[in-house]
Amino acid sequence: MNPGDRVRVDRADRTYEGVLLPSSTDEQLVVKLEGGYNVGVDRDGADISVLAEDVYEIDGDADGDDAVDAAEDADADADDDASDEVEFDDDLPTISLISTGGTIASTVDYRTGAVTAQFDAEDVLRAVPDLAGRANYRGRVVANILSENMEPPIWQDLAEAVHEEIENGADGVVVMHGTDTMQYSASALSFMLETPVPIVFTGSQRSADRPSSDNVMNAVSAVEAAKSDCAEVLVCMHGTESDDVCALHRGTRVRKNHTSRRDAFETVGAEPLGTVDYHSETVSFRRDYQERGEVDLTLSDALESDVELLKFTPGMDPAFLDVVEGAEGLVIEGTGLGHVHTDLIPRIEELIADGTTVVMTSQCLEGRVCDRVYDTGRDLLDAGVIEAGDTLPGTAKVKLMWALANEESVTETMQTSIAGELQERSVPWE
Amino acid sequence: MSTRETASGSGAESDLDYDDLGLVAGLEIHQQLDTTTKLFCQCPTELREPEEADRTFTRYLHPTRSELGEIDEAALEESRVDREFEYLAYDSTCLVEEDDEPPHELDAEALETVLEIAQLMDMSPVDQAHVMRKIVVDGSNTSGFQRSTLIATDGEIETSEGAVGIEDLMLEEESAQRVEETDDGVRYSLDRLGIPLVEIGTKPDISTPEQALEAAERIGMLLRSTGKVKRGLGTIRQDVNVSIADGARVEIKGVQSLDDIDDIVRTEAARQRELVEIREELAERDASVGDVQDVTDVFEDTESGVIGGALNSGGAVMGVPLAGFDGIVGREIAPDRRLGTELSDHAKRHGAGGIFHTDELPAYGVTEDEVAALREAVGAGPDDAVAIVAADTDVAEAAIEAAAERAETALEGVPEETRGANDDGTTRYLRPLPGAARMYPETDVPPVEPDPSEVPEPELLTEKVERYQDEFDLGEGLAEQVAYGKHMPLFEDVVADGIDPTLAATTLESTLTELRRDDVPIEALTEAHIASVLQLVEAGELPNEGVPDLLTVLAEEPDQTAEEAAEDAGLGGADEAEVREAVVGVVERNEEQVAEEGMQAFSGLMGECMGALRGKADGDLVSQLLREEIQKRS
Ligand SMILES: [Zn+2]
Repeated sequence: MNPGDRVRVDRADRTYEGVLLPSSTDEQLVVKLEGGYNVGVDRDGADISVLAEDVYEIDGDADGDDAVDAAEDADADADDDASDEVEFDDDLPTISLISTGGTIASTVDYRTGAVTAQFDAEDVLRAVPDLAGRANYRGRVVANILSENMEPPIWQDLAEAVHEEIENGADGVVVMHGTDTMQYSASALSFMLETPVPIVFTGSQRSADRPSSDNVMNAVSAVEAAKSDCAEVLVCMHGTESDDVCALHRGTRVRKNHTSRRDAFETVGAEPLGTVDYHSETVSFRRDYQERGEVDLTLSDALESDVELLKFTPGMDPAFLDVVEGAEGLVIEGTGLGHVHTDLIPRIEELIADGTTVVMTSQCLEGRVCDRVYDTGRDLLDAGVIEAGDTLPGTAKVKLMWALANEESVTETMQTSIAGELQERSVPWE
Repeated sequence: MSTRETASGSGAESDLDYDDLGLVAGLEIHQQLDTTTKLFCQCPTELREPEEADRTFTRYLHPTRSELGEIDEAALEESRVDREFEYLAYDSTCLVEEDDEPPHELDAEALETVLEIAQLMDMSPVDQAHVMRKIVVDGSNTSGFQRSTLIATDGEIETSEGAVGIEDLMLEEESAQRVEETDDGVRYSLDRLGIPLVEIGTKPDISTPEQALEAAERIGMLLRSTGKVKRGLGTIRQDVNVSIADGARVEIKGVQSLDDIDDIVRTEAARQRELVEIREELAERDASVGDVQDVTDVFEDTESGVIGGALNSGGAVMGVPLAGFDGIVGREIAPDRRLGTELSDHAKRHGAGGIFHTDELPAYGVTEDEVAALREAVGAGPDDAVAIVAADTDVAEAAIEAAAERAETALEGVPEETRGANDDGTTRYLRPLPGAARMYPETDVPPVEPDPSEVPEPELLTEKVERYQDEFDLGEGLAEQVAYGKHMPLFEDVVADGIDPTLAATTLESTLTELRRDDVPIEALTEAHIASVLQLVEAGELPNEGVPDLLTVLAEEPDQTAEEAAEDAGLGGADEAEVREAVVGVVERNEEQVAEEGMQAFSGLMGECMGALRGKADGDLVSQLLREEIQKRS
């Protein structure tokens, strides 16, 4: 008896007939009944007979359940595919679509639910047919991971891939990314690349396996943004709860501020840099931006991996500071203007003396660190702590990793805006 | 109540022999549950007015081909990507309804309720219930799918004509309420979305219209016996599947009233029989459907408003010759519905207003000469019929093709299809039968293991009727009214709290009805209002006679408590001294009459005393004191 077999299960006074699913466990059989419902049957005391073997082809994906339906679709899809030859249109820009395994990409191969290495224009158009006719597409897979499993070496792979795509003539790049850590990857690319074309991150908050997913509108809007004149690293996600406007956030100033809403991403302390109107498909910007072709393409992808971010909270065990002993860099997410318990300051001073670069940010998120106002702050400055201005804590961590590996004066770099992450003037932004 | 007199003998179809016809029918019943919270979130299951919405948002749905599965083209049309769905949200809805938060776990109260229902129908719960997603693309679910869970299978209910099997029981989420069509799509209200809904499907064991009605009533009674189902318009929906031996399976959607079920089955069986007869007659005549043709020229100078209107706006008249159909297109197959009406329904699906056919022409401004010219133009002889559609050219073409296709089907007999129930007991074509629904596991909700051992066995309404008579001395009529009425749970609650059952029953079933007839806004009364009014009576602080007045005051000013309202309105019970004072006053005013008539004066003076006390005193007490006072003086 194997998944995919048509089985009959008798248990107590009940009989179920259907296809055995791979989600069965040692305790339970899961059977898909004729009407499409799945039902779990306790194995204990169940009498199982196989009516037909391998009625359905079951793929080896984790859940395996969709595969039963999908197997039936495979033929139909194959027929469609034959006529799905995607033609190159000289009049359209070329956009590279790079997948890291986010939820948009998960529809790319509906049959297995996984992203395959072959990720071409046809796959993209099958996943999001609305993208057709907007650009010529090149597809590329850099990683196939959950966003929470993102690691700095993959930022480097991603930056190299983007660099290569632009070198090979892409007029814009769209990076499909899970939403959990999108802001960190966007920050990393903001520091690693100087770009003459737009690099637009997008993803979906509501899974692509539901007809209501935000993936279609986000992907369409990201492609439109990638065709625009703004040659920066942007995050393009829903601007409201409605399917009306996507917001374009600067990669270094964006933060995921809600666990599940479509409009979870916000530019901290300001309106987003720009918007994409889904109806009119127009891209517009509120503030100045780096224009297409303004800078030459360069890649500085070295990173110092030995950097930590530590959030100070009341009652924090000072031993946390022992953990980072010997690290190259430490970003502290302090309270208010940039403070920690005064008892911690001598230990921080020791770390700095020991060679660790310590940078102060604020858990207020909005506003700038200022350690000259109170004694605690002055003591931290005396200890050698570097203020990161209004740089977001997460962005500061990524920046410190980059600065330690690429810049002569880390202190000066951390206090200078490299990619729009640090505002010189605090003004009521619009 | 549950055993109705069946209406055999009424209607033209009543003499059909259903056994002979091979009638097979099944029911699918959807009933909203009256739980505290919704199925997948903590929001109340309360309906709102669209004006109460405090925010709106708009969405599109993007189903993929493989998600849609075998969906018919018309339904696909409804899911066009440019259909914009607008949703009204309330302070009683949350992000779950907005599809902006994952669903919470399956509501335990709803699960317990459906397990009770399953037990009443002798069904077996599954070991482990898996929540599924059923793709729905008309916007009525913000997610683009309806969550549905198979909870139990294989039960049975009794009817006087034998047992009817219950195939399955599902626990589902109710869809959003359609408010109206908008310029770009549809506006929906989120208040209803997520209310728990139980779906019960019978096996096709029903063999007469009367049995269909009885089975539906039995299921309805069992559902209401739990005391946890919603009441009122739209809270229960019935679909009926009907076929006869030579016919085909037809699903009839949206039967609003339970009482119509037997008529619906009767009419559908007759319709199928008529269609079978038409098929035989058409075969004898060697009938066939010809090619669609443009017959615009025939109507160049027409006086017909419909046709002229279409032509004036640049449209066309398309016709199809139906060889051997003369007299058959106009044949009645259901009350006031002809074969031509079926053709027309199909044409309407493609945007046309309907069809004209030669069995009904000349009429509608179409002249005899035009009919002759039409027959001539399409080469139709006297035994043939012609159907035409006048509309914009594209619409006319698609519509006449659809009508021609339906005429073609008439040669084969009864088409399998989904039909909608009309108010008059007839049905109309809606769409083809749906293919198997595409179901995917709802990975956001863990499976649940129903535990039937913890489920209470509710008392059936039929049993309640008997108990109310035995235990509470209610008359049979009142006992039935209470047991089947929507206040049954309240009745049981207050009686358990020590309220006199007769008082509770008459208040809930008679007093409230009378007040409603007198235009008292009783919908403003909460169960707590009613219960506390009854408590006042029980505590001797309000006479029985004061109940209607106090309920009226509360209905008009529902923010008050019963005590406050009673005090303000001077409805508190008068004590014995007060009553005696009033009675003495009346007796003294009528001293002469009392002296003359003695106890004969009682009934006249009783009314005067009650009037003087304005409902504040208990009638028995007034009567007793009045007797005493008259006796003293006579
Ligand atoms: Zn809710």
